[in-house]
Amino acid sequence: MTSVTHDHHHAPASPSGLRKLTAPGWYRVLWTTPLVGFIGLGIVGLIRWAADWDPIWKSGPLATVGTVSFPMGLLIGLGGFDFWTYYASGKRTRPDSHDGHGATSWRDYFRINTDHKVIGIQYTVTTMLFFVISGFMALLFRAELAQSGDQYFNPQTFNVLVTEHAILMILLVIIPAFAGLGNIVIPLMIGAADMAFPKLNALSYWLLPIAGVTFIAGMFAPGGGPSAGWTCYAPLCAHQPMGNIFFNMAVQWGGASSIMTALNFLVTIITMRAPGMTFWRMPLLVWANFSTSLLVVLATPFIAGSQFFVLFDRVMHTNFFEAAGGGYVLGYQHIFWFYSHPAVYIMLLPGFGIISEVIAVMSRKPIFGYRLMALSLLAILVLGFSVWAHHMYVAGMAGWLRVPMMASTLLIAVPTGIKIFSWIATMWNGKINFNTPMLWATGFIATFVIGGLSGVWLGAVSIDIPVSSTYFIVAHIHYVLFGGSVFTIFTGIYYWYPKVTGRMYNEKLGKLHFWMTFIGFNATFFPMHYLGTQGMPRRVADYAPRFQELNAFASIASYLLGASTALFLFNMIWSWTKGEVVGSNPWRAMTLEWQVSSPPPTFNFDEVPQIVGGPYEFGVPGARHAILGSAQAEPVATGGH
Amino acid sequence: MSAAAEAHEHHGPPPIHYSSRINPAVLGIFLFIGSEIMLFGSFFTAYFFDRIVANPAQWPPLNEAGVPFERPWFLALINTLILVTSSFTIHWATVSCKKGNRAGLQAGMVLTFLLGLTFLLTQVIEYHRIGFNTNDTAFAATFFGLTGLHGCHVFIGLLILLVITIRAFRGHFSPSAHHGLEVGGIYWHFVDVMWIVVYVTVYVL
Ligand code: HEM
Ligand SMILES: [Cu+2]
Repeated sequence: MTSVTHDHHHAPASPSGLRKLTAPGWYRVLWTTPLVGFIGLGIVGLIRWAADWDPIWKSGPLATVGTVSFPMGLLIGLGGFDFWTYYASGKRTRPDSHDGHGATSWRDYFRINTDHKVIGIQYTVTTMLFFVISGFMALLFRAELAQSGDQYFNPQTFNVLVTEHAILMILLVIIPAFAGLGNIVIPLMIGAADMAFPKLNALSYWLLPIAGVTFIAGMFAPGGGPSAGWTCYAPLCAHQPMGNIFFNMAVQWGGASSIMTALNFLVTIITMRAPGMTFWRMPLLVWANFSTSLLVVLATPFIAGSQFFVLFDRVMHTNFFEAAGGGYVLGYQHIFWFYSHPAVYIMLLPGFGIISEVIAVMSRKPIFGYRLMALSLLAILVLGFSVWAHHMYVAGMAGWLRVPMMASTLLIAVPTGIKIFSWIATMWNGKINFNTPMLWATGFIATFVIGGLSGVWLGAVSIDIPVSSTYFIVAHIHYVLFGGSVFTIFTGIYYWYPKVTGRMYNEKLGKLHFWMTFIGFNATFFPMHYLGTQGMPRRVADYAPRFQELNAFASIASYLLGASTALFLFNMIWSWTKGEVVGSNPWRAMTLEWQVSSPPPTFNFDEVPQIVGGPYEFGVPGARHAILGSAQAEPVATGGH
Repeated sequence: MSAAAEAHEHHGPPPIHYSSRINPAVLGIFLFIGSEIMLFGSFFTAYFFDRIVANPAQWPPLNEAGVPFERPWFLALINTLILVTSSFTIHWATVSCKKGNRAGLQAGMVLTFLLGLTFLLTQVIEYHRIGFNTNDTAFAATFFGLTGLHGCHVFIGLLILLVITIRAFRGHFSPSAHHGLEVGGIYWHFVDVMWIVVYVTVYVL
């Protein structure tokens, strides 16, 4: 074919002079973003002018199109579409030169990069940034809630903060943090050199900061920010200040990013496993991401739909959910929760996978009931689609739906319980090493059980009705999302930190971080169960004086959480350059990512590894998970007691 | 092979080992279509609620003049036939490609593109003359919602067809290498089948 030589593998030689403006990168972004952005706005004006609509420049349509066209300009400038425009022009396809793969300097993290390990770091660092931003918002409104009465924010601003805090934590922190960790380890774990679609992977990452910036821009939009809560219920949501359009569109960007990544994970896991890596030999983290990705691909379009409808109701004056025009108000909640309940599992199953890895490795024992662990993931996936209306018991939906939804909700506790018991059985009689990742993993089990139990209570109609929309819900969602998902993310970050950086984090600080978070978390959120049962409503800036003490207590405790996060960030940044250098396999784990150097070589493996056994055969004499080519022959530790 | 690989410096990943017989791009487009079906599903759900739950008595509802909204089912039927035909022409293009018949491939692609374009333009004209607007009750919302969502898919499909056509004319695709064509074809078939469901729901039922 063509004679393209592979003379550079890493960053393409940087162009000079005017070429800088045409080569993919931030110089090109400087002119493509306004160009494409304003073309989009111009088309709106043109259409409205041609159709004789008044006024020609109307804020709603402009915001809708602008939140698409400006980001598109950015992506074009960065070079996200270069390959496809090249392909579309009909030129001969180039053999992949691996340009843009891997990173040699910090600059390589700020461009379209096709290396799954770089993308994983991009994802994880971005999510931590948003974790800080949206955590800071929470500290702001906790300050307001420290006393009853109005202190710092008016109710509108308060609700904007609550809305943004929740949606950012969900769409910009938890979901993409798992995408990031998955990106780093899935190809390694299955013995592949990269993901199935590296260019798509690069693009999916860049949609994420776009979503985040759009959400935050919404707070400052003329007219005011979105304040209808993260659930954005119609019809309230269709009559919000203009910031809500940014909210609706940012959900689309975030959703598109997560669908594209999930697709990539699925195709990678199905088609790129190393020889011998059967489904029953895959690490549970891979299983977990496999199930999660199926959920993402099938459920996420429903939240996309729900946000489109409220947007149309507002911008195009449709009547999807407007009762006056014959629309059905509750339709929104059905469609929204048909995504958003499965979404709670999207935010948890990958975490289950992380916990399984860590518990097996740190207890030096095979996972108890490996197959059941995998199958229970699939059971949760299927059942997860059948419980959405437990969020609507008091919404006025059809009465006969309540009991079936209650039954399926209670049923879903079964596969979840299987997982909890399996972890405990795995630890049973193990030689447990309570290092930082293991502390987080066991801390997760403790807090998640509390959250899961309050979930079962809420599933019971008779309990849910009085506590719906109170602080009991706030307690529940934080026990499952913070004590659940965020704890597993910390577990994963500590566990793979030596793999990604080649250095060990500071163990003392790691443990301190855990204990500060664990205590701060329980002190902040446990009292909310009680506040809820006493009738304190959620999403209010002010409350009755009788709730004063516990709220003040929760606010103080929340600042402990803020401090613990600062400690965590310090540990991560400091250890990246100053931490103790570790070898390829500090945890003596068996899965493949630990059998290559830390950080792994650009293409992961010199030769495709051969898989010969399960991933957790600790203590089984002579058991091996994989045989690697001679180049990386570090002995596969089987360890044990 | 390892000796050879070690002999000279390594210049890239080891050869990919595929653990499944299905081509990744084909699997990818099938999964993507699964996602698309769910997106249509959310629109059909909204339709279901607006029609069956909120307006069970009369559909289409009455307009200001007191008569039910008119749905141009006949024009849309002709449009349906156009789109269905385009599924056959792209199939013909694919078969021609597999047989090494380049003229057939090119003619099939051009025909498919033109048929798709005709469909889309007809829909634009239909919108223009339909006599009701997006704000005319939930009926109009679901009508424009479903047909508009589908129209967007036709538009994206046309872009894909255009790319394939350009490449077909520039000498790409051969009996042994035609995944790009196949993937585009699968997507176009999906767009067609989806239209039949949309047509029956929106114009006939
Ligand atoms: C798997 C982790 C879980 C996550 C991430 C999660 C997340 C959430 C969230 C975000 C909400 C509040 C939605 C809102 O109104 O803003 C919620 C409410 C609820 N959750 Fe969970 N949940 C989880 C587990 C469970 C479990 C295991 C059950 C029951 C078996 C459950 C039952 C409920 C119920 C019934 C509500 C509705 C409460 C109400 O609005 O009145 N959840 N959950
Ligand atoms: Cu739920």
